[in-house]
Amino acid sequence: MDELKKIAPELSKIKKENPFRVPENYFEDFSTRLQMKLEEEKRGSTKNHSRIIQFIKPALSLAAGFALIFMLAYWPLKTLTPNQQASKIVTETDESDMLYASLVEGMDENSFYAMLDDNNGTVQFTDDDLANFVNTNSSEYEIFSETEN
Amino acid sequence: MDNSDLDLIANLKNEKTRDLAFNSLVKKYQERMYWHIRKIVMDHDDADDVLQNTFIKVWRSIDKFREESSLYTWLYRIATNESLTFINSNKRRSLVPMNDTSDFLMNNLVSDAHFEGDEIQLRLQEAILKLPEKQRIVFNLKYFEEMKYEAMSQVLDTSVGALKASYHHAAKKVEEYLKSRD
Repeated sequence: MDELKKIAPELSKIKKENPFRVPENYFEDFSTRLQMKLEEEKRGSTKNHSRIIQFIKPALSLAAGFALIFMLAYWPLKTLTPNQQASKIVTETDESDMLYASLVEGMDENSFYAMLDDNNGTVQFTDDDLANFVNTNSSEYEIFSETEN
Repeated sequence: MDNSDLDLIANLKNEKTRDLAFNSLVKKYQERMYWHIRKIVMDHDDADDVLQNTFIKVWRSIDKFREESSLYTWLYRIATNESLTFINSNKRRSLVPMNDTSDFLMNNLVSDAHFEGDEIQLRLQEAILKLPEKQRIVFNLKYFEEMKYEAMSQVLDTSVGALKASYHHAAKKVEEYLKSRD
């Protein structure tokens, strides 16, 4: 206080009193009002929690549905059909190979041999191509009997 | 820390006794906290809001209270932070452009129906409102609440030396303001 008198004589002359007031019964009622607000707060936090669950619920149901379909349909089908993989490999052949095979297979034998004899032909066959053709269109017996002749 | 506060903290941390202990804590500290907040935000309705927010924050974070400081300095700390947050957010929301916090608080003081001070008291409050934020809080805690510097140091997380200097500067500025208006 003495220090205040030295540094602020005018201030130390002012009577130290509280100029602020509160409404009647403010402090008596405060804890009741606070209690109500706390209850709201507790309810609010529970509501927020359930709101998040409500938001996530449809997405979770959808994901669970897909998982169930996968388990009941796709997985048993995949495990019970072992040839599926082999047929898939056969279908994954090159498009140009397919075109070539269908052209050759559509010809009769005479046209095919005539095409082989034609040196000026635009289509050139390698030995491998020829071997492939013979393998796919003739049985082992036919090949053997032809080579014996 | 006094024994009653230690019991209070123990009961607050126990779920079975928490509600009752919290009610005791509110009854014990509501007036001190209110006047501290009121001197920062000025208006009664604002002080009421901030006081409620302060106690709700206390309720939420009682488990985090590590008892390194006394219960009342912890409460003061929360109340001070809540008050400053309130002022800053209200200042941002205000439609009228304010040059600084003192303009906003002066408006609060003038429009407050629960201010009953005479002219000298009004001048003193004006002088206090002209102080920078931290000096204003230090001045209020020392001048009106006569809080010890050691306790204030825990509330404001500032060294005792810095607080003494801050109070000294604040008192000088208030004095100058009072003299200038004579």
